Amino acid sequence: MTIRTGLTRRGLLAAGGATAVAGMLGAPMIARAAGQPLKIGMVTSLSGPFAGLGEAMRAGIAMALAEYGNELAGRPVELIVEDDQAKPDEGVRKFRKLIGQDNVDIVSGVISSAVALAVRDVVTEAKALTFISAGSANDLARGAASPLVFRPTKTNWMLGHTAGLWAAEKISKTGCITIGADYAAGREYIGDFVQTYTGQGGQVNQQLWAPLGTTDFGPLLTTLASARPEFIYSFFAGSDAVRFLKQMKDYRLHDKIRVLGGGALFDQEDVVATVKDAALGGQNTCNQSPTAPASLDFSKAYKAARGTLPGEMGTAGYVTAQVIKAAVERVGGDVAAKDKLKEALLAQPVDTVFGPMTFDPRNNQAILDIYVNEIVEGEGGPVNQVIHTYKAVQDPGPSA
Amino acid sequence: MSFYLVQILNALSFSMLLMLTGLGLSVVLSLLNFVNLTHGSSFLLGAYVAIWWLGSGAPWWLAFPAAFLAAALVGLALERFPFRQFYTRTHLMQVLLTYGLSVIFADLMRWGFGAQIASPELPEILSGVVFILDMPFPIYRLFIIGFGAVLALALWFVIDRTIWGAVVRACVTDRRFVETLGLDTKRIFTVVVAVAAGLGGLSGALGAGILSAYPGLDEEQLILALIVVVVGGLGTFRGTVLSALLLGFALTFTKVWIPEMSNVAALAIMALMLVIAPQGLVARKVRQV
Repeated sequence: MTIRTGLTRRGLLAAGGATAVAGMLGAPMIARAAGQPLKIGMVTSLSGPFAGLGEAMRAGIAMALAEYGNELAGRPVELIVEDDQAKPDEGVRKFRKLIGQDNVDIVSGVISSAVALAVRDVVTEAKALTFISAGSANDLARGAASPLVFRPTKTNWMLGHTAGLWAAEKISKTGCITIGADYAAGREYIGDFVQTYTGQGGQVNQQLWAPLGTTDFGPLLTTLASARPEFIYSFFAGSDAVRFLKQMKDYRLHDKIRVLGGGALFDQEDVVATVKDAALGGQNTCNQSPTAPASLDFSKAYKAARGTLPGEMGTAGYVTAQVIKAAVERVGGDVAAKDKLKEALLAQPVDTVFGPMTFDPRNNQAILDIYVNEIVEGEGGPVNQVIHTYKAVQDPGPSA
Repeated sequence: MSFYLVQILNALSFSMLLMLTGLGLSVVLSLLNFVNLTHGSSFLLGAYVAIWWLGSGAPWWLAFPAAFLAAALVGLALERFPFRQFYTRTHLMQVLLTYGLSVIFADLMRWGFGAQIASPELPEILSGVVFILDMPFPIYRLFIIGFGAVLALALWFVIDRTIWGAVVRACVTDRRFVETLGLDTKRIFTVVVAVAAGLGGLSGALGAGILSAYPGLDEEQLILALIVVVVGGLGTFRGTVLSALLLGFALTFTKVWIPEMSNVAALAIMALMLVIAPQGLVARKVRQV
């Protein structure tokens, strides 16, 4: 699926011709850049298990670019969106297409961490300016970090770690059970939570794992009902999260056991909007909140456009555009000077709807405020309400 | 004690879901020797129809007939074209045809119902919980157990004990012979395919209350249905019921004891069955084309 904005085919031809002529004349790069279309490629999941998230991400970036009049630093912007089906090999193919065939100036997107890890070598080899909008495996900010790959998003550690702090400080140091999706992300969230939580003196009674795509949580919930923990820390995403919370309510556990989760478990658009009451009272740590001060205007605009408050992916799409805008404007539109762009982007923070964003010079990983959200009854149904903010949380990065 | 009682109920309700999903697939496979991979699409369509119906404010119990009808109508149309042209083709050709169709349906439904996860608003009467000693168990799951048992009995009765069932079974054994009796076998096959698709839709409607509905559910359910049919044995009705129970209990109790192994358990059972009883739990001779 390909979407193009702000440019006709004739315009593209003319631009191509102009580029060729300018190149032959040996004009300086800066002159070549001015007025030329800026091509941004985005790879996201428009089919497969993350289809809903991908649609939201695409809507987010399109909204931002429309607000900028499809123009950044005087250059008209063309957005090309591709579908990776949440499959690593498909992601690699689409990144190669964007870089090699469409000659985009910037690549961005990616929801699945597996895709983000798979395309790492492709973009590194091509020295492509890359903005990973959401893929959040810890290794992306550690062993797999790359000089021109920017990460305007969280890592799993940033959420698991803050949840550990919050649980030990505000919930309880005893009576904890963890229950998570048994795949890479689930293992990271739960592992990082347990490490921090036990480091703070908390005790974990039992750890339960459910395979990705579990349809029936009944047996696990009956186990929970008989174990009677004080609270659970949990990580599920997408349809797993919806089913887990719905079935918690079916078994009447939602008002007996407190639930603390990774952001995805209570994603505003993807999960809370669907499970409604079943989410009430749940808490989560997330780099995004529709009620965060930085997000209020955006949340309102997003709701007007899509009929629901934004979740992490809609916001991530918008933030990706904000960060690209800051980077492009700081070099006057000359994205060919990649090192200069990197220096300028890292030099000072970017104001995003996630909150203030500083990039860690070691790995280009965003240092972000992490919100503790509680699901409360809002005007239009249950909503993620910020109840605490951990300021400027930084992934341990290469030192971990 | 009550812990294990509730876990047995959990296993039963999950078995019923598996059985309902597997039945439609197994009926078409056993009676027509036709591999219908659009069965997952029927399931998802039924789920969406039921969710839409339950949200519309119409009497809730009509959601299930509505889902059955919607899926059956699609099945009816598909049988006319192109299924009918493929009955005498090899299984591989049938798989290619119906798999392609299921991909098209997945896109159509994503376009029509959206990519967001949808959940039904269950009526008050079904959304409660009963306490068995002090352990909670949802009423909706009891409803599924009851509904599934009644449906399975009814289906068995129709196929095994009525004249219509006898005609359908006769068609499978020797279609030409049935035609010499003056019966229109084409029409009979149409009805069987439509009813099977309807069953898929109905199980989707029932399952939506536990599973929700979203793009991709069609494939997940199709795979489960295939496992049920493979373990149960191609072409047997009792086999499907038995294998659903076997898989339901195995999956539930691995979740109780070693939850991270529950998917492995289902596939291990299938592999084991293929080795020790390649004909399935209940064997019956099937014509291979």
